Amino acid sequence: MPAALNEKIAGWEPLVVAFCCNWCSYAGGDLAGTSRLSYPANVKVIRVPCSGRLNPMFVLRAFQRGADGVLVAGCHPGDCHYSTGNYHSRRRLSSFKRLVEFAGFEPDRFEVRWISSSEGDKFADEMEAITGRIKALGPNRKMRDARWQSVT
Amino acid sequence: MKKIVTADKLPVLWSHLAGQGKLLLPVKEGPTVLFKEWTAGDEVALDAPTSAISPKDIFFPREETYMRYRCRGPVLELSAGEEFEPVTAFGVHPCDLKAFEMLDRVYLDQDPVDELYRDRRARTTVVALACFAPDPFCFCSVFGIDPVSAPGADVIAHLDRQSGNLMLEAQTVKGEALLKGDASLLTEANGQSYGPALVKTADFGLKLSGLSENLKGRFEDPAWDKLYKSCLGCGVCTYVCPTCYCFDVEDYGHEMAGERFRCWDSCMYGQFTLMAGGHNPRPSRKERIRQRFLHKLQYYPETYGEIACVGCGRCLRSCPVNLDIVQAIIALGGEQNVQR
Amino acid sequence: MAERYLAELTKIRDAVRQDLLGGRINLLLGWEKGHYWWQSRPLFAEDEKDLERLTWDSFCAVNLSRYLLDELKDYQKIGVLVKGCDSRAFNRLLQDNMIARERVVLYGLPCPGMLDYSLLTAVAGVAPEGIDEENGRVVLKTVAGEKTVERDQLLLYKCRDCLYPDPVVYDQLLLIPRGAKEAPERYKSVTALEELPADERYAYWDKELSRCLRCYACRQACPYCSCRECFVEQDKPRWQGRAYQASENFLFHLVRAYHGAGRCIDCGECQRACPVVIPLQELNRKLIKDLNELYGQFEAGLNAELEPPLLTYKPNDPAAFSEK
Ligand code: SF4
Ligand code: SF4
Ligand code: SF4
Ligand code: SF4
Ligand code: SF4
Repeated sequence: MPAALNEKIAGWEPLVVAFCCNWCSYAGGDLAGTSRLSYPANVKVIRVPCSGRLNPMFVLRAFQRGADGVLVAGCHPGDCHYSTGNYHSRRRLSSFKRLVEFAGFEPDRFEVRWISSSEGDKFADEMEAITGRIKALGPNRKMRDARWQSVT
Repeated sequence: MKKIVTADKLPVLWSHLAGQGKLLLPVKEGPTVLFKEWTAGDEVALDAPTSAISPKDIFFPREETYMRYRCRGPVLELSAGEEFEPVTAFGVHPCDLKAFEMLDRVYLDQDPVDELYRDRRARTTVVALACFAPDPFCFCSVFGIDPVSAPGADVIAHLDRQSGNLMLEAQTVKGEALLKGDASLLTEANGQSYGPALVKTADFGLKLSGLSENLKGRFEDPAWDKLYKSCLGCGVCTYVCPTCYCFDVEDYGHEMAGERFRCWDSCMYGQFTLMAGGHNPRPSRKERIRQRFLHKLQYYPETYGEIACVGCGRCLRSCPVNLDIVQAIIALGGEQNVQR
Repeated sequence: MAERYLAELTKIRDAVRQDLLGGRINLLLGWEKGHYWWQSRPLFAEDEKDLERLTWDSFCAVNLSRYLLDELKDYQKIGVLVKGCDSRAFNRLLQDNMIARERVVLYGLPCPGMLDYSLLTAVAGVAPEGIDEENGRVVLKTVAGEKTVERDQLLLYKCRDCLYPDPVVYDQLLLIPRGAKEAPERYKSVTALEELPADERYAYWDKELSRCLRCYACRQACPYCSCRECFVEQDKPRWQGRAYQASENFLFHLVRAYHGAGRCIDCGECQRACPVVIPLQELNRKLIKDLNELYGQFEAGLNAELEPPLLTYKPNDPAAFSEK
């Protein structure tokens, strides 16, 4: 496959989709906001009730439709609002991440983080960090739907 | 017009033809042989048995976008789907060629004609390839198909097994145009011919005369209660079959912009006849199997005069549970020693 | 081998005949010959006459357990011939609450591994006219003469690295067990792929999946795919489009494989059913391998009582992402 898979084009800015659980990570994002911490506008946050709600197809759909990186953020293990949601997602997302890598995605394209509602600073740092890593990797063209460009 | 291409020149022939448009050839692809667009370096498999999937997608692609739409303010813009370029389809077996004739009747011989199919057909030059060693799955002779001739093809090719040379004989004006190429590549045959061996395929003891008429009124035949049982409803049989022609229409995009395409569909699928209100007139595999085989053996012949099977053997090769058309014909009494 | 199969078939037929005629079962799921010596297809036997067609040979690859899903609607009690993989498929269905154990009689058939016709042809160089089997070897008979090959080299892909040729659940074991097998090469191609750079791996899958017709035969053949509505046909939301785009191929294959995480019994029916031989078992085995590495050894279908790894957790589980 040509190196063009992640070749950079002038003016390209990464698009990172972050699925954040309502109770911890999304609240962490809120805290980052009220604390006036800044993080890159490349990150588009999508709120989910729990990291356990994450259907792996959400991740793949994001890649099909333009995401250069995907992050799932949930409560720290042990802190799940629904007690066990993130214990399950830890197993699921671990095996799913490996599968996605097996399909040829670079490990940095899909990540998972635990961010609590009091970790506004961690939220901002992680968003900064993933944006930086994706910037370094270049655009993602794997699994991108060839038709997507023409309908946007 | 008869020309010969020597074995060593075949790669040159491929590049030559590919230079004039799209060149489709049977190509080794992983463990299978597929009929697909040739690119330099591909392993061409002219001596292989029929391709895993029939070449019907030359004219009836698996997927075909035929309309794009976009809303600009109050204006709806529509545009046609694809540009058509010239195609050379090289190495079509006589059974698959016969199947084109069957698709033609469906897509061309009625009003309105299917324009997408018509346009693809019109810009394609078909080079048939005489068979020399049929697969054990082949049974085209049952349908009166001669494995070494190809009426309707623009060119018929004979492969000489010893030398690997190809003899090309033009049968139409389009075919002659194709053979008018480079003289150093295509040399005159000068009366030579590669004697096509007598090729005989299996017949499974089938007797088809009278079968279609006999099937009328056998919609509720008890044979159907047994035949379908092993079917998984996987649709492989219809996807590999050269005479199956059903499609579905789907949209991609959203309310402001997108495209409409058609793609293969199969009567073996549960949702094929599912209606908007939730009713399904073919609720189980029994009705679906009945549809598939009655379509091939009764409905098509009723409308167009012959059974819609060319004995290519793909369903015999590919059905994961070996429930194929021969199985069906036998179950319905289409055997020589059965009195109907 | 031919004699051995014959003797075994007699044993099998005697056992099931008794039960079918005696009313212990109303239907027997077995195999019969198709048109060719290399095809054995499902047999649905209701009576003595049907049983005459029963066969048992090196081509009984089709998994019969799946048919229970439909046949139990029509028959009160069904007997099924199960090889090792078929028995694990049965456990799979049992664990998913798809069938009632007490309505099924399982006849266990320790399995020698099934042969692959396309391999026979490839190895013989031409379509063979027949085979003889003896002492772990196969004699391929062709117009050009005979060729003897190790049986192991002619097995279906699904049988090559089978760990459990003996049924793991049965009511009656009809033949002599063959004992557990080693499968040192089970993860060989998975590991080879893992070692490639990401882009090359993507290119590999892009090419392999480009053959996919998305007929979903792999799903239809699979013993865990018994959802009433599969995501590929789901309308709202419409996850899986029908177009033949790389993006749609990847979506289907990743999600299908992932739905089998902790559930796939590695029976290989998906790959056997695929008309264009897409290496689906590499995707399945990748998941089996990873889950085993991360959350402890587990083989789906071995024991219907054991909880699959994705239905449970431990508070101190490891994670495969960079944050633990
Ligand atoms: S007849 Fe065979 S190939 Fe066709 S749908 Fe049924 S199982 Fe699949
Ligand atoms: S029904 Fe089977 S043998 Fe007949 S044309 Fe179709 S695939 Fe070929
Ligand atoms: S059976 Fe093969 S061709 Fe059909 S959907 Fe599955 S992988 Fe694709
Ligand atoms: S995914 Fe394939 S190997 Fe796994 S259980 Fe299903 S058919 Fe068997
Ligand atoms: S692929 Fe997934 S949704 Fe579809 S039948 Fe299998 S398990 Fe169910």
